[in-house]
Amino acid sequence: MSIGRRFFKLPWRSRTTIARDVDTELSFHLDMRIAELRARGLSEDAARQQAMAEFGDLDFTRVYCRRQDERTERDDRHADRLAEWRQDLAYAVRTLRRSPAFAIVSLLTLAIAIGANTAVFTVSRAVLLQPLPYADADRVYRVSSSWPGHPTDVVPLSPADFADFQQTQTSFSGLGAIVPSQSVIWRPKSGDPKSLDALLVGSNLFSVLGTPALLGRAIIAGDEIPGNDHNVVLSFDCWQRDFGGDAGIVGQSIELSGATYRVIGVMPYGFLIGQHEDLWLPYDQAGTLKDVVRARKQHYVHAIGRLKAGVTPARALADLRTVAARLAQQYPEADSARSASMRPVRDIISGDLRPALLLLQGAVALVLLIACANLANLALSRTMGRRRELATRAALGAGRARLVRQLVTESLLLSIIGGAMGVGLAMAATRLLLSVNPTTLPPMFDARVDAGVLAFSLAVSLVTGVLFGLLPALDGSSANLYESLKDSGRGNSGGRASGRVRKTLVVAQVALALILLTGAGLLIRSFGELTRVTLGFDPQGVVTAGLRAAGDQYEDPVRVNAFYDGVIDDLSHAPGVTAVGAVSDLPTRGGSGTALRIEGEQNDEARLPELTYLSVRGDFFKALRIPIIAGRGYDARDRPDIPETTIINETTAKRFFPKGDAVGRRIRIGPDPNGTWMTIIGVAGDFHSEGLDTPVKPTLYANHRHEAWMRSMSLVMRTSRTAADAGALIRRAIRARDPSLAVRDVETLNGVVGGSLASRRFALGLATCFALIALTLAAVGIYGVLAYNVANRTREFGVRIALGASSSRVVSLVVRQGVVASLVGIVAGLVGALLGARLLSGMLFGVTTLDVRTYGSVVLLVFIVAMIACIVPALRATRVDPLTSMRAD
Amino acid sequence: MTGSAMNRTPPEMLQGTVDILVLRALAWQAMHGYAISRWLDGRSDGVLSVEGAALYQALHRLERRKWIISEWGLSENNRKAKYYSLTTAGRKQLRTETSTWMAYADAVHKVLSPA
Repeated sequence: MSIGRRFFKLPWRSRTTIARDVDTELSFHLDMRIAELRARGLSEDAARQQAMAEFGDLDFTRVYCRRQDERTERDDRHADRLAEWRQDLAYAVRTLRRSPAFAIVSLLTLAIAIGANTAVFTVSRAVLLQPLPYADADRVYRVSSSWPGHPTDVVPLSPADFADFQQTQTSFSGLGAIVPSQSVIWRPKSGDPKSLDALLVGSNLFSVLGTPALLGRAIIAGDEIPGNDHNVVLSFDCWQRDFGGDAGIVGQSIELSGATYRVIGVMPYGFLIGQHEDLWLPYDQAGTLKDVVRARKQHYVHAIGRLKAGVTPARALADLRTVAARLAQQYPEADSARSASMRPVRDIISGDLRPALLLLQGAVALVLLIACANLANLALSRTMGRRRELATRAALGAGRARLVRQLVTESLLLSIIGGAMGVGLAMAATRLLLSVNPTTLPPMFDARVDAGVLAFSLAVSLVTGVLFGLLPALDGSSANLYESLKDSGRGNSGGRASGRVRKTLVVAQVALALILLTGAGLLIRSFGELTRVTLGFDPQGVVTAGLRAAGDQYEDPVRVNAFYDGVIDDLSHAPGVTAVGAVSDLPTRGGSGTALRIEGEQNDEARLPELTYLSVRGDFFKALRIPIIAGRGYDARDRPDIPETTIINETTAKRFFPKGDAVGRRIRIGPDPNGTWMTIIGVAGDFHSEGLDTPVKPTLYANHRHEAWMRSMSLVMRTSRTAADAGALIRRAIRARDPSLAVRDVETLNGVVGGSLASRRFALGLATCFALIALTLAAVGIYGVLAYNVANRTREFGVRIALGASSSRVVSLVVRQGVVASLVGIVAGLVGALLGARLLSGMLFGVTTLDVRTYGSVVLLVFIVAMIACIVPALRATRVDPLTSMRAD
Repeated sequence: MTGSAMNRTPPEMLQGTVDILVLRALAWQAMHGYAISRWLDGRSDGVLSVEGAALYQALHRLERRKWIISEWGLSENNRKAKYYSLTTAGRKQLRTETSTWMAYADAVHKVLSPA
């Protein structure tokens, strides 16, 4: 019986059969007993009665036996299936061992394709899918001021507007204020002072975000009241880095910018509100509102709100707009042209990365598809080579399903091992990518390979295995197998149908590779255009450092001026230093906005033109080699005690003083329509203050001596020294002037500019990488198909050569096949690329999605690579020896 | 249903006891259920007669444990009957169980014997 099960598999017993078998067995027993009792002379009835009585509980036994048998049956089935899988697996391992070349090529392809998918998924999951560290984060929105008709052009609210929104809106359970980063200087008990990033937050902000503190408590109502407001909450990172994760930190006092603060809490790991702040301080909203004019006109408050339950975003937006419209009526000179807009915080945080990541995810998915096509092709060739083996197995009784399973087991084995290798690759790659581009990913996102990522890779591996295994398996197990047993000559040439499948796969590969290359090409061209952008300044040889005159004594602008003048003077006399200046915002890092009024012109108070405001001092223009086009730069004459002078950029001069009479005219900036007049003394060259991909805006380079209320500046120093050396020099100079101050972010200006391109370079590097992988895979695919073809037609070529066909004729025979497939692929790919390029439009700079040069070069590249892949097998065909070829088989 | 059956199977005859008796019955040859019950009857002079219900429950339980396997065959009187035989695992089980039982019975015997 056991022998029977094992070798000639019996059909499995159904429940009904089991029931019938049990009944048969039991009634046999009873009948035997009755017969025996009858033989002893009992009557039929008496015998039956006695037999039943002797037997005991018949009904229960029947049920018991059936249930036991059903379970036995089920166990056997599982065991059998397991045994079959093990058999398949062992067989798969043996077959793969026998063709190591195939196994290695497949594994490498899989490792690269799955690894790339895993790596990109690791990052995009962290950015796009992982929950933000706020309670029910999808209902948290940022509310901003905007202009009707320009919903994406947003600015922060003014403190007074914010207060009005806070009181009158009805859609959010609360609106919390954020006043963005300021640096504060922390004096540790020992060691150098250190500059930390602080965020001022409204006392209700933490309750709006709903994240409990890790230690102590967050900022709550009452913390902002003057006299009670020297409370600070630390971020997890800051706590770990600067306070050594001291568990007793809560309640301790620390010195920040010369004042004493009490640590009231530490927030949990990963919690941030901005992008990289170290600590949070209470924001004194009521105090700000005392200055009525400024409070209405200066826009610097970011508002964060949580939607009430049941309120849709659309309704909330309508609500905000109603409030904005009322404000516009009430305060026409400040709010007449303003409306309101809102955006989920997730979008704001992952904003720049989202399209890039989705793009990359799409690109790697294409790479994986190409890899699948390639492996399917490879496996298809192998299955054809194994037709006879498969036919033999079929003849020995393996059903079609079993053969398919056997082949799919092989591909699954490959894809799972390949996937495991891929995960290893991805772990290394993710770490490498993030360490090469540290600024690309906001620190709030924690990209690492964890259970979720592993599940993703496993799923990808399984799908891949089935994808590339099923096609050859179905083909290899098809009915005409039996013919390959009889057929001895061209038995392994494969059917017409599978030939077509293989060609289709090649076409698809070429098309997909072309799409990827076009995408990468467009990005490369954009990047080229970007780096060709005239910066307007010369970053070479410039070192920058962040500085803040922090502390109560610097409330007095005279002291701020004395400090900066002294530092800049000391540094300019140091050896190896050519020019030293300072600026409020480094190039590519933006600036603040202000309104412009021109003396002697009609200034429409409701629609004042916006100017980008930068404050500069010292030899800023000389240090950055920004030319003075008209008038003069700042010098000793522009003292803080004389009426303010100012310098504008070329764009401002052209736009607002088209007659070229800018120098000598007077302008007024800022919220106050009756502010002081500033005389324009010069026009300086344009430079890209907001990043290379943003057009130059009208900009004012204010004289920092007059604007010394602004205490944070970036030093710019043209020097022959290295950044480290220059940094040490700057630190010494600062310490000599005021040992309580700290220097931060010493870096080269080249680094700053490069950093502004980091996320672009990140996407570009990866996209190019993927495109090249795709091209290589496609080339291997074409090569594989043709080489296989040539090998199969050896005899035919032999005959042709024997009959006098020239080498070129044979070459063209083979090449023609490859060329046709490649051309079809190129055309299909072009269509796909034209459709797909539209997705890229947001990431392009200086090229259109229809850039002819890109398309041309990509088509040429693909064609050349395809030709090379064709030529090699073609040449092999010409070397066929007629005699041997005909003797073969 | 019970009635006279109570007299046939000793009340404390536990599952494990029936199991080992069945295994023992199959030690030399394959048998169907009825034959096993007759064999047990004969071997123990009727003392260890096992109720049919207990016997068949034991058979199917043992089969599930893979100690015995079954196969349809023809009985002496040409009827379809289910024959059981020991597997290797069953044989091993029989050996261990037997020695355990012997030791146990010896101990009980020692305790009960007049000193």
